[in-house]
Amino acid sequence: MSEDYSKLKFKAGLEIHQQLDTSKLFCRCPSVLRRDEPDFEVERKLHAVAGESGEIDVAAKYETEKNKKFIYQGYDTTCLVELDEEPPHNINNEALKIAIQIALLMNMKIVPITQIMRKVVINGSNTSGFQRTVLIARDGFIETQSGKVRIDSLYLEEDAARIIEKSKEKIIYRLDRLGIPLVEIVTAPDIKTPEQAKMVALKIGEILRSCKVRRGIGTIRQDVNVSIRGENRVEIKGMQDMRIFLDVIKNEIERQKKLSDEGKPTKMEVRNALPNGTTEFMRPLPGSARMYPETDLPLLKISRNFINEAKKTLPALKSSIESELKQKGLNPEMIKLLFKQNKLEEFKELSVVMNNPQLIAKILLIYPREIASHRNLSSKKINEILNSDVLIFVLEKLKEGKISESQVKDVLEKIVSGIDLEEAVKFEKVDLEDVESFIINLLKNKPGLSEKAYMGLVMKEFHGKIDGKTANEIIKKLKKP
Amino acid sequence: MKKNIHPGDRVKISLPNEDYSGVLLESTEPGIIMLKLDSGYNIGLNKRDILEVRLIKKGLDIKEKIELKKDREKRNIAMIITGGTIAARLNPRRGGVDWLDTPENLFKFYPEIFDKVNVIKLEVPFMKASEDMDFRDWKKIAKTTEKLLRDSNVDGVIITHGTDFLHYTSAILSFFLRNLNKPVVLTYSQRSIDRASSDANLNLQCAALAAISDIAEVMLVGHASSNDDFCYAMPGTKVRKMHTSRRDAFKVVNARPFAEIYPDKIIKVSNYRLRDNGRKLRLDTKFEEKVALVKIYPGQSPDILDYYMKKKYKGVILEMSGLGHAPTKRARIGWTKKLKEVQKKGLIICATSQCIFGRVNPLVYSNGRELLETGIIYLEDMLAETALLKLGWVLGHDEWAKSKEKIKEVMLKNFSHELNDRLVE
Repeated sequence: MSEDYSKLKFKAGLEIHQQLDTSKLFCRCPSVLRRDEPDFEVERKLHAVAGESGEIDVAAKYETEKNKKFIYQGYDTTCLVELDEEPPHNINNEALKIAIQIALLMNMKIVPITQIMRKVVINGSNTSGFQRTVLIARDGFIETQSGKVRIDSLYLEEDAARIIEKSKEKIIYRLDRLGIPLVEIVTAPDIKTPEQAKMVALKIGEILRSCKVRRGIGTIRQDVNVSIRGENRVEIKGMQDMRIFLDVIKNEIERQKKLSDEGKPTKMEVRNALPNGTTEFMRPLPGSARMYPETDLPLLKISRNFINEAKKTLPALKSSIESELKQKGLNPEMIKLLFKQNKLEEFKELSVVMNNPQLIAKILLIYPREIASHRNLSSKKINEILNSDVLIFVLEKLKEGKISESQVKDVLEKIVSGIDLEEAVKFEKVDLEDVESFIINLLKNKPGLSEKAYMGLVMKEFHGKIDGKTANEIIKKLKKP
Repeated sequence: MKKNIHPGDRVKISLPNEDYSGVLLESTEPGIIMLKLDSGYNIGLNKRDILEVRLIKKGLDIKEKIELKKDREKRNIAMIITGGTIAARLNPRRGGVDWLDTPENLFKFYPEIFDKVNVIKLEVPFMKASEDMDFRDWKKIAKTTEKLLRDSNVDGVIITHGTDFLHYTSAILSFFLRNLNKPVVLTYSQRSIDRASSDANLNLQCAALAAISDIAEVMLVGHASSNDDFCYAMPGTKVRKMHTSRRDAFKVVNARPFAEIYPDKIIKVSNYRLRDNGRKLRLDTKFEEKVALVKIYPGQSPDILDYYMKKKYKGVILEMSGLGHAPTKRARIGWTKKLKEVQKKGLIICATSQCIFGRVNPLVYSNGRELLETGIIYLEDMLAETALLKLGWVLGHDEWAKSKEKIKEVMLKNFSHELNDRLVE
């Protein structure tokens, strides 16, 4: 039996956290997760501090009452900033650019003057006791099959340290993840059914993946806010597993319905999604009292110029790239390969030199594979040799008429075999008369063969010195009479 | 903006295309109005884009009443607040800075000290960043400290202070407070106190323990390492800020800490003067301001000494290279002749080392012997900063300043651990 969600006044919104593929947000450490033994450990304690209203935030209080010891594991890929021993460096401009691109793809308004904030988090996952976060854009929308969904805000923030071990008296955290840039996308509570929630999640996922974001497990995290009958909202964390997505929301609706039917209020709280599709209580929902400015950094001003720069390299969505490539005449197989081998950027780069999508697809996808198997080389090695600088050089020679299209593969072969670039594009010029007399003799000595057979013999004789098109024309010309 | 609208008020701001509502904050840059949105995030709006600011609701100043109860079981201390990170707190509701200058405010942030001791007096002689202080401020701190220590109810004094020049204050107090009978503890924070990770929490807990301990010394108490486990109690004359931002910025140089201080215990590390309420504390704040510190670098001209002569300076500490060297006769621009000249005219020149760690010794190399012959007073293992202040203190006393022999004798006399004749590291 399907629920009548509108009767329940079901309201949901999504919060999606996605790691960006850059170095860290407020220091220049690489964003790498470590599996090896830590180089050192530091022991810390946190204590709750009265917020702006003089009161300790409920969520903060809940966490600090545990009075735990925190151990932080550090590596040669972490620095004093992650250790809360050095003030933050300037915000990572590459991460800022990517965040702006994501915002633009969701039709959002960029906030021109904004302040980096400290969000109090004292469960130890941030050495400082807060997470740095900044509002980048507001008020956008995405289109889904079930209508427009408004995007309320986009924040750029630091990821937290990750838990390695937890016991009653201490928690061990690893600093490798702390400070990796994240965008947090918050939708308006426009979502009317669990199915629509899933659709919106998938759509935002597609937008994110078209930009420079980290891939793989743990690089995207989803929370869903759910309320019914105008009651308090409940935030459910850990919704990235799409297989349980619908079940979790439906189970939460049931839980809230039961409370409401019994006349009990729904508490503002954060719950954690479990693999079986139910949820468990995590902590109270934090209030806005936990936000105060990051006084170690100046106001963040996002200039028109910076936004325009971001626009110049604005990635297109996979779906629109696909249809564009199809229009250019590439077959679905080739398009799939382009995505799979991650050669879209190179494809665009080479298309600027010469507008010949078929040929470019071949020299990016087909020829290297053939040469690799022929020469028994790894595809990594081939891609190293036939990098885009080399391919641009070859295309330019083709454009100048120094080589012909049918010689391109030969040129690449030569380059892979170690021949110098300038040498590789030099072909011995054959006297066309020599070719003609060879063909006349051929027709005389071996009459009645197919054109294809003659071609084969001609190419064998003049291999590499004449292109197939020219040879074919001569054969046709001489065979006719 | 209308006159009746102030930071902390809830407002609605109209721009040509949109309206924003939120709490108005103190502006941090001219031409930009700061607004806290309901999400808690702050944004800036260009003043010239704003059509109208409307007051929605006046902000309330929330004042909590906290009653501090004296606990007879606990010992009493006094505190002196002088400014710095440890006493400044951002008020995020308005955006400005509040000072923690009452016991109530202090309690709100650091209830843990009050678990250990009663803070029965709190004095605020001034609120300054340490880099803005000079000898007049040190005299004020010394005077306030003396006054508090004379109170028989006070077992010790904690002084909170900015970090930049904290080691200058700790050094000069070591000379100003003669015959010290109770602990004088300076402490600090490197991380602002509004964050849960602030180092002030452990530093203050350990400072409270130090203030009621038997260590009757001027000491600096702060993180021993990056860990929040224990602090060192460091001799005021033998400590230096060695890092711009770490919690354990202060290191003992050419000595050992007095003690390791944990939130619940003290482990003695080296010898110190013991608490003795019968001892009569004496304040001695005479100070000659005309002293300078000059760092020697390669190719440097000694002409700088002419400047100090002209400006009627009485003494200069040279922070010399290695064992105590400066460019000699063999250098293209040598110092030997000029050093002889200025000392003949009465300028006191003392030598410390820019190596920071170790002792100066002019006898090892001929260059050192040449410089020694000009009459420089070599100050053994004394820190350059401590040497500067000790020279100012010594020259402030007419009975010592009258002859160079006396000055040399007093400079090389150990008053407060500033000299250590047994370096072990």
